[in-house]
Amino acid sequence: MREAIMPVALRNLEPLLLRVLAAAFMLFIIVFIAIPIVINLTMSFSDAAMIRFPITGWSMRWYRDFFGSEQWTAALVNSIVIALGTTVISTSAGILAAWAFERFPIPFKDGWYVIIMMPLFMPGVVLGLGMAIAFGGTSIGGYSIYGSRELVMIAHSLWAMPLVFMLMEATFRTIDHRILEASYDLGGRPVRTFFEIVMPMVSTGIVSSALFAFVISLNEFVMALFLTDRDTQTLPVLMWLSLRSAGTPRLAVASVILALAVFACLTLIMVWYVRELTKTSR
Amino acid sequence: MNVATVDDKLEPAASSAPDGRRGGLAPWLLLAPALVIVLIFFGIPTLYMVRMSFNLHVDQRLYVPGFTFEHYVDLFSNPLFTNAIWTTVQLSLVASVFTVLLGYSFALLVWLQPTRWRLAFIGLALCPLLISEISIIFGWWMFFPRNGLLSYALVNSGLVADKVSLMYTEFAAFVGLVYLTLPYSFFILLSIFDGIDKQLLEASADLAAPPVTTFREILLPLTRTGLLVAFAQCFIWVMGTYATPSALGPDTLWTMGYLIQEQMLGKHNWPMAAAFSMVLVTGVCCVMILTRSLMSKRAAFHA
Repeated sequence: MREAIMPVALRNLEPLLLRVLAAAFMLFIIVFIAIPIVINLTMSFSDAAMIRFPITGWSMRWYRDFFGSEQWTAALVNSIVIALGTTVISTSAGILAAWAFERFPIPFKDGWYVIIMMPLFMPGVVLGLGMAIAFGGTSIGGYSIYGSRELVMIAHSLWAMPLVFMLMEATFRTIDHRILEASYDLGGRPVRTFFEIVMPMVSTGIVSSALFAFVISLNEFVMALFLTDRDTQTLPVLMWLSLRSAGTPRLAVASVILALAVFACLTLIMVWYVRELTKTSR
Repeated sequence: MNVATVDDKLEPAASSAPDGRRGGLAPWLLLAPALVIVLIFFGIPTLYMVRMSFNLHVDQRLYVPGFTFEHYVDLFSNPLFTNAIWTTVQLSLVASVFTVLLGYSFALLVWLQPTRWRLAFIGLALCPLLISEISIIFGWWMFFPRNGLLSYALVNSGLVADKVSLMYTEFAAFVGLVYLTLPYSFFILLSIFDGIDKQLLEASADLAAPPVTTFREILLPLTRTGLLVAFAQCFIWVMGTYATPSALGPDTLWTMGYLIQEQMLGKHNWPMAAAFSMVLVTGVCCVMILTRSLMSKRAAFHA
């Protein structure tokens, strides 16, 4: 019976020894990936003032501390605002560019593709440094660009936009062009066709790429470190700076909150996906 | 068949007509926001950085306009900087080789698993990708020190008598880097494995080949390109990162990313930081171009 459950390929591939090794390796990987996550989760409920094992008392003390601290809640708000801004900027720019790539013959298409994708492969240190040098002293109408949330949004878009572009380019390729032609034949103008026919067809792609943009921006801290000041620093930047001075369970709480935000996004994608599936199957 | 081909040929022309005059203004308007972001906020800073790297640095001022190769000469002659470059390359090599080995075995085993486990493992592999680097650093930061989980677990299980600390060692930095790059190599390699017909393994076993031979003669040649891409991806990633090695590693572990940050924020030497970044970017580009050429050579060889 057990033999029947094992896949044929696996049964043929190896004797018992290999199977034991494989199981041990899988266990190792699971533990390896789980370690930092589980530590953060348990430490966030610690009652102690220091990071120390074993944990002697449990409490919500550090959660109260986190939400009671103006500096930390402000950083959380900054993070969310910047992530939302990044999502809007990178999703709209990425979708439009991907649509242009799908619909129009563009001279030097491959070249433009490389140019748009390039920032994604650049280290955050380099992007942050470049923007800090180029826009360090710039201000528009007395409003200093350097240190503003908007500059960080654009910096994060340098990573998020190429990703959206790549995902949406692949999604647009799945569209059946005859439907667009039908729309044009019925007198639909390009803009209206795009919003009323194309957008609903690729909504799942749009939602997932937008949420990926959100997650990237929420987690990023090297560029933000170069580009923010005390008033605009994001949660990961504040975590990094306080890790350099002293680690307390408050950092674990911040990690948990960041992770919760990310997993909330994932749940949203899943719910959306399931809804779309049930809609089409009906 | 004939009709289909004609149809295919007609379609692009017919479908692009209503949208505009075949490459008129419309595509450029649609591309404009993306190009503005890339050209203004990536292109201009890059040009600034190139220019900055030739500026002078005198008397603690951020920079003084001028033209000198001094910083580049310094980069390749000052032992502090050459050591940093060497350390970075070494660390990237070791971490990437290990990550690719780990990712390869993981992807191979997930590929061989029954499908019902597959989704769980993919979810697991996504975790390091979705959790902020800073949270992961902090997780390992609580694992390695004397009062950390590792020391506690070892002492409690009786394996060692006294508390141990692996914090601020090269090993800790290495573990952190492997953790962060594992998902990249895993997903790249899993997608390669998914393209392989599992019946090849059965065929090989039917021909009485032991598993090791099957692996060497069948799986390895089929996944070589994937190995190359996964390695390049990890290598580029590790080369550019600075937070993990500087937070988990020893104070003497000076990577390029760390020195860029140090020159910029600590020493206020912008020209030096810019010159260093240019070297880093050049390194990243070299690895990418090398990978591409190796890949196309392999493709040509197979064809």
